Amino acid sequence: MIEVKKEPRILAQQVSFSHRLARISGLQWLLLIIPLGYIMILMVFSMADFFKLSLFNEDGFTLEYFRHIFSTDIYLKVLWVTLKIALLVTFFSLIVAYPLAYMLVRTTSKLWKKIILASVLIPFWISLLVRTFAWSILLRKNGVINMILMEMGIIDQPLELIYNTTGVVIAMTHILLPYMVLSLYSVMEGIDQKLLLAAQSMGARPWKAFTQVFLPLSIPGVLSGSLLVFVMGIGYFITPALLGGSKTTMISMLIESNINTTLNWHLASALALVLFMATLILLFIALLLTGKNPVLKELE
Amino acid sequence: MPKKLGLLLVAFLVALIVAGCGGEASGDSDKKNKELVVVDWGGPYTEVHKKVSFEPFEKEHGVKVTVVTPPDIGKLKAMVQSGNVEWDVVSVGNDFAIRGGEEGLLEKLDFNVISTEGLPEELVHDYGVPENMFSTVIAYNTEAFPADQQPKNWADFWDTEKFPGPRGLYKDPMWTLEAALLADGVDPANLYPLDVDRAFAKLDELKDDIKVWWTAGAQPPELLATNEVPLTSAWSGRITVAADQGAPVKVDFNQGFMMSNSWAVPKGAPNKELAMKFIAFTLAPEQQAGLSSQYDNGPANTDAIPLLSEESINRLGLSSEQQEQQIFVNSGWWVENYDKVNERFQQWLLE
Repeated sequence: MIEVKKEPRILAQQVSFSHRLARISGLQWLLLIIPLGYIMILMVFSMADFFKLSLFNEDGFTLEYFRHIFSTDIYLKVLWVTLKIALLVTFFSLIVAYPLAYMLVRTTSKLWKKIILASVLIPFWISLLVRTFAWSILLRKNGVINMILMEMGIIDQPLELIYNTTGVVIAMTHILLPYMVLSLYSVMEGIDQKLLLAAQSMGARPWKAFTQVFLPLSIPGVLSGSLLVFVMGIGYFITPALLGGSKTTMISMLIESNINTTLNWHLASALALVLFMATLILLFIALLLTGKNPVLKELE
Repeated sequence: MPKKLGLLLVAFLVALIVAGCGGEASGDSDKKNKELVVVDWGGPYTEVHKKVSFEPFEKEHGVKVTVVTPPDIGKLKAMVQSGNVEWDVVSVGNDFAIRGGEEGLLEKLDFNVISTEGLPEELVHDYGVPENMFSTVIAYNTEAFPADQQPKNWADFWDTEKFPGPRGLYKDPMWTLEAALLADGVDPANLYPLDVDRAFAKLDELKDDIKVWWTAGAQPPELLATNEVPLTSAWSGRITVAADQGAPVKVDFNQGFMMSNSWAVPKGAPNKELAMKFIAFTLAPEQQAGLSSQYDNGPANTDAIPLLSEESINRLGLSSEQQEQQIFVNSGWWVENYDKVNERFQQWLLE
């Protein structure tokens, strides 16, 4: 008699719900569809809806708002100021953040690592408004920085650190620094430190090992950090409003004024679209310039 | 087959959740009749508002007043355009009361319910009534300018020889152009329509001495107290509060510009009738005096002034002498011209 080998039957109740759910084929697509739908509905559609205002008004299609922007000096000037400030902030945060991130990766001391991370991250959790006000206390004529410099005899006259571009750039660099440090750190952490030792064992001096091995490998971090800081920088509003002067009007302020005061949403939308396009063009140029980097090519 | 069943189940669940959300929002419309949503500026201002106006109104009418902050005009427009209005009463600047009315974003107020007795007629419109007043005035540090050498008017403000030191002004053409014209000797009675060219020419004279273009009401008291600038324009209430706390700052109401925080009702507000009653309630002299005795904004209803102490009347710039020295901002003119003038102003700043 042949005995039929029975598959041990598992009762339906014994299979956990999540297992049963996982068996439904096609369900994994939900993981993609839900977030994608979320982004599409909340971002793309609402953005498209808003940008539509720049080209259509009650009378139908019109280029009136773009004509207005390009025929009135103020908007292009302010756009230039905005891009200039964002570029300055990106540049300075890169200069400050690179050594910090490098220290974070290279140091073997856990304590130092903690100290650096804490000093980068703790300001990150404090409200933007509070940090902006704190900078106004530090930077003003008889503020802490000017007092210390005068006491030490380095300067006789207080420096003009606030209500101008300097103040805005100092504060915005500080506020956006964590994004740069973390972007750099995440890439640098993945660089094999032995490569540096290998370079040195083949006769490269530490500086050469750094510039020819470590620096090129860290370029993706530099790029992603710069992108993040630049893109956040061009939309800044509160900091330039409170620390800036007559020449630091940024485009977001004009957009806000059109949204909230004059209720001219068509013009606001056109301004936002111009800013958006200018940013895309700049990013495209940045990509072209860095496209030759072999590390980045590999990423593609 | 079971696969499809599973998918169906998930789809059903999603539909249920979506329906559930919608149901919740519309389901309690019955209760909503007893809830009035008031949009206010927040902070200590709203705390006082609640105590003197909103809570007594709740008791008298047996309704609940929910306070939302801040009165975001862009949001109001979006609500009205999408037909999903959640707000009943909104505190807005007098200029928006006019502009919003023109653009069809506001309900006409019911003046059978709302009494305008005692309200300055310059500020009452179909779509807005003033609720309280604030003045943009000359403010200075009393250590930099002691008793006998204090600036008294905008001409003094422009006089950098007699009153040395950097200046602060509001980063907006409103109030700034008016100040320039008064400094240039324009008679306050003939201020409007503003002579924009003349105002910018006068501003040119002072441009290099204006160190701070302030954007937030909290800035001037701070700028004066730390002597970053010894002389600036300011909203009077901010300075009088700072002076109470011991800061060496003072305001002069002469040639101050008066404007109001006004009540408006968004088009399609869910509780329009109750909103009108609410507005009427807050304009009664007792409520008005209550607000002004605890917060440094003047009452819109002049009948409330006798209820205030002599000290309050003087600090708020409400004595008849101080009132005569001040000028109402002509919001109607600004609504007509703000777009153009502001573009020119922003351009001028960058030059």
